[in-house]
Amino acid sequence: MVNHQVDLPEVTATSRRHLLASLIAGTAAVAAAPMLAGRASAAEVNAPRDPRDFASLNEALKRERQMAATYAASVAKASGDEKIALTLLHDHHNAYVDAIKGYLGSDASKSNEAALASGSGSLVQIATQLASLEEQTVTLHTASLGTLVGLNAATLIASIITVEARHAAALALIGNATPLAAAGA
Amino acid sequence: MTNLNNSRISRRSMLRTSGALVAGSAVIAACGGSTETGIARIGKTPTIATLPEVKLDDVVLLRTAMSVEQLIIDMLNDKNVKGIATNKDQALIAGYVEAHTSNLSALAASIQKKNGKASNEPNDKLKRAFGDTALELMGEGKKSTDVMPLTHALESLLAATYQYFVSLTADSALRAEMMSYGTQASRRAAVAAQQVSNGIKAFDFQYDKNGVQVVGSIPTFPSAFGALNAVQVALGPDVEGAPRAIVVMDTPSLNSMSYPSTQE
Repeated sequence: MVNHQVDLPEVTATSRRHLLASLIAGTAAVAAAPMLAGRASAAEVNAPRDPRDFASLNEALKRERQMAATYAASVAKASGDEKIALTLLHDHHNAYVDAIKGYLGSDASKSNEAALASGSGSLVQIATQLASLEEQTVTLHTASLGTLVGLNAATLIASIITVEARHAAALALIGNATPLAAAGA
Repeated sequence: MTNLNNSRISRRSMLRTSGALVAGSAVIAACGGSTETGIARIGKTPTIATLPEVKLDDVVLLRTAMSVEQLIIDMLNDKNVKGIATNKDQALIAGYVEAHTSNLSALAASIQKKNGKASNEPNDKLKRAFGDTALELMGEGKKSTDVMPLTHALESLLAATYQYFVSLTADSALRAEMMSYGTQASRRAAVAAQQVSNGIKAFDFQYDKNGVQVVGSIPTFPSAFGALNAVQVALGPDVEGAPRAIVVMDTPSLNSMSYPSTQE
């Protein structure tokens, strides 16, 4: 029997050209996979702000604006070392306002908050008053952590709480609390 | 002209077959287990035991928090710390230890709620990383003035640990709980700082007339936001013509977490 081999046009999917093309595509896919996976995890880390957190964060923002206004009132009436110390704490609260506003972006509430205390009296009186307000702020923020969904929002609030707790303790000491009472121990 | 070809193996089918063979071999090789050849050779290594799979979850974080609290209790109670402290500082340290002990109970209860097993062991990795060195230096220096700076450093580290754990905790209610312990540590740190450098002047960094930071001073508020960087403290004896030893304390990392062991 004689076989006649005739070169027919290549119509099957397993032609050399197709095979090469498939190999190149496959290699590209394998090479791109880790990169795409990296992007996916980066996208998770930088997850968009969760709208469910906006109300809670705006409450935190309101409180920090109130605290900044309270310190501004105290700074206006203080002088010397007292003024320098209160200005430092005022700056901290302004930084918290800016940080929360920055996080919320266009979803941040726009309001001017009034001071929570007059900021007048002796240093001991002012410090006692401010220590109490700082403690309340810490309690408010800590409670909000239990409801915040976004991890970035929680991390930001936690970093604020850490220093505000220091504010509360140091001001309590200046307000003549005993060290153990100021430490809350 | 007509080409006559008697062969049944065309170039195309040969390429296809060999490709399939190579791919098949690779799959089989990948699926196969490794077996020792038994060939004697110099430097033949023993079989390496695989590390157990561990998972970082909320229970591990709580256990780690317990281990750091316990480490601080042990360090504050050490003869090289409590033993050389002034009477005033001893009273403060006793109050701090009581607070840490109370936290241990609360943390153990939280672990139990999550069906985990509490651990009352101090964090071994951190102990070896800085705890032992700090105590050794305290023993060598025997300076009562080092007690509060060390206490401040330990409480700052604990506050930073809880703050850091917020970013790792899955349960949002637990994040709030973690920070409630963190705020206590922050408060204790601020009070300890005020024992070293007291008054409103010490709120910020203190500089001398030449603009150099006053040696040994501790700012009560070193930054506006809680920092997660390493805490440093100068301890030990004075060395002529050289600065004092600096102990660097870091928050727990993935390799210093208290993972439950397989025996537990």
